[in-house]
Amino acid sequence: MDIVVCVKTNPDLQMVRIKNREAVTEAVPYKIGDLEKNALQAAVDLRAAAGGKVTALCLAESNRKAAEDIKVALAMGADEAVVIDDPALAAPDQAAIAAVLAAAVKKIGACDLLLFGEGSSDNYTGQVGARVAELLGLPQIGYARKVEAADGAVRCERSMDDMIETLEAPLPAAVTVVSEINEPTIPGLMQIMKAKSKPLQVWALADLGLGAPAPVREIVSNLAEEQDRKNILFEGTVAEQADAFVNALIKEGVLGR
Amino acid sequence: MDFRYTTEQEMYRQAIREWLVKNLEPRARGIDEAEDGIPNDITAGMAEMGMFGTTIPEEFGGMPLPDDERLIYAMITIHEIARADLSMSTPVYTLLTIGWSYIINRYGTEELKQEVLPAVAAGKAFAGINTTEPAGGSDLSAIKTIAPWNEEKQAFVMNGEKAYVSGPKECEKWGPPSGHCTLVKTDPAQGHKGMTFIWVPAHLPGISYTTYKDMGRMGLSTGGWIYKDVELPRKYILGEEGKGFYVNMDGFNAARVLVAAACLGGAEKGLEISGEYTAQRTTFGKPLGKWEGISFEMAGDWMALDMLKLYLLRGAWMIGQEHTNPGQFGRKEINKIISTCKCLSPTLCHDIARHGMMYHGGFGYTKETPLEMLLRGVMSYEVGAEGGLMIMRGIIARDEWGETHNPFKD
Repeated sequence: MDIVVCVKTNPDLQMVRIKNREAVTEAVPYKIGDLEKNALQAAVDLRAAAGGKVTALCLAESNRKAAEDIKVALAMGADEAVVIDDPALAAPDQAAIAAVLAAAVKKIGACDLLLFGEGSSDNYTGQVGARVAELLGLPQIGYARKVEAADGAVRCERSMDDMIETLEAPLPAAVTVVSEINEPTIPGLMQIMKAKSKPLQVWALADLGLGAPAPVREIVSNLAEEQDRKNILFEGTVAEQADAFVNALIKEGVLGR
Repeated sequence: MDFRYTTEQEMYRQAIREWLVKNLEPRARGIDEAEDGIPNDITAGMAEMGMFGTTIPEEFGGMPLPDDERLIYAMITIHEIARADLSMSTPVYTLLTIGWSYIINRYGTEELKQEVLPAVAAGKAFAGINTTEPAGGSDLSAIKTIAPWNEEKQAFVMNGEKAYVSGPKECEKWGPPSGHCTLVKTDPAQGHKGMTFIWVPAHLPGISYTTYKDMGRMGLSTGGWIYKDVELPRKYILGEEGKGFYVNMDGFNAARVLVAAACLGGAEKGLEISGEYTAQRTTFGKPLGKWEGISFEMAGDWMALDMLKLYLLRGAWMIGQEHTNPGQFGRKEINKIISTCKCLSPTLCHDIARHGMMYHGGFGYTKETPLEMLLRGVMSYEVGAEGGLMIMRGIIARDEWGETHNPFKD
């Protein structure tokens, strides 16, 4: 079974500082998002059961080192990697990302299963998996916490509020996964060195027969939440303070929802 | 010229940091308190990540690395382990094992490599260094342990005593093929020219040990060995008979890279801990970091640390270059750079640990912070392990200004 995993690199969130409510990403290294690692691990596990090939597909966006950073996906077990790096795609909107990824999946050719994280670690719009599936005319299952493939179909579990839903779709299909699906393995030195000789291609928009995308989205505002403290002091006995504290939390909607 | 790690080196660094933060860091205090070695699941996981294979070729179960980069990978390994285990137990256990395996691979016979290296790469053997004796360690040419060749037994027959050696309990735990690279006199009449460097498996008949109670790095045992008519076959020899002093010194240069890496890794983490605490803790209405008595001292520590990290990288790179393509650098040039790293790194790490404890106040004196553990652990490298600090200065004086400044010869 041939699997394509769409993998986004984003600034290392632990190193991003917020200044004037905007993210400061200068000199912050990029890394593969956590949910994309879950998707990669799911692909590697499926390949172990069913054979085939895993291709990591990455749209570089503003990451000038994406072709290096994607090697982590190869070390984690992907067989091949494709990076799409084009100056016209430095800050694409979700429609453009989906159009480019869909074209790249077509160019890759063999793809029985297309995997995504449920959303990216930075913007987390959660749109891309569904958009690509739509563009390619594939059945899609979102938010899978378990993925199995057999007899030309993919079977997924997902957690709803009060039940676990099991869905099945014929292959080829697109699936987005949640973090509960697995614990991604950390690649060791042997896997890192083996990744060095795995095929890695870098494509530009022209290689996909596409031109610069026209944006369909305008970002009006994208600011970090303000984190002001309320500076409420509770007085009285310890018991009274505790009651007042709990009531305040309920009033704020933190407790008792 | 490029001052960055390669893509693969950086990937490895990030991968092992992630693994060590998750699997070793939360257990460092427990390792220090239990005084019962490094837990097997940790060494097994480290082996799986490739950490024990950095200095060992793939044919002996090690990692497929370019030979001139092996010491750099080992340096990254030890730096990252030291960040995770500030007690210094796991970094020292590992640096001894992979550092002296590097020398076994460089100077050992094929049979010795087959016997020892695969078990080391799998994380199932300890390899250490054994030179110091009860009468002293810095004055190596005065050692008294002898192992003259016995034609009848077809073995070097070893008698003597060694002291302050890391790893006796670890050798016992793992069993064969654990042991130590050991300096002996095979021709006692010849002074340092009669010395041979030889692998001594810890399980051979005639070997016994005692242990000491150390002040730090409690997860790694230290002790003394007693040898009585121990028979060492020729396959265990490292380098040439009678050239042991030079092989040992070459080994010390590689080991000192890793010792410095352990100190700098611990120092880096210690300074980070201080950075976080002095940002959060307020006195007199402002964070501790706003007090220049603190921030300027931290800036000084940062400067020294950053310079030494770069300097050590240079030293590790030089040894790798020299070992794969000899003749690029003189022995003296490498000696001076490595001695600088070994001389300055332990003291800097100690200073950073002590400064951090001061910023933490009473809290810093408790075992709630790992800084006291770092201070106790790094002291082993100040008092002398892998070469005393004054010996490092002596090497630099000798190799920079020649015999007029050689303190080792009258």
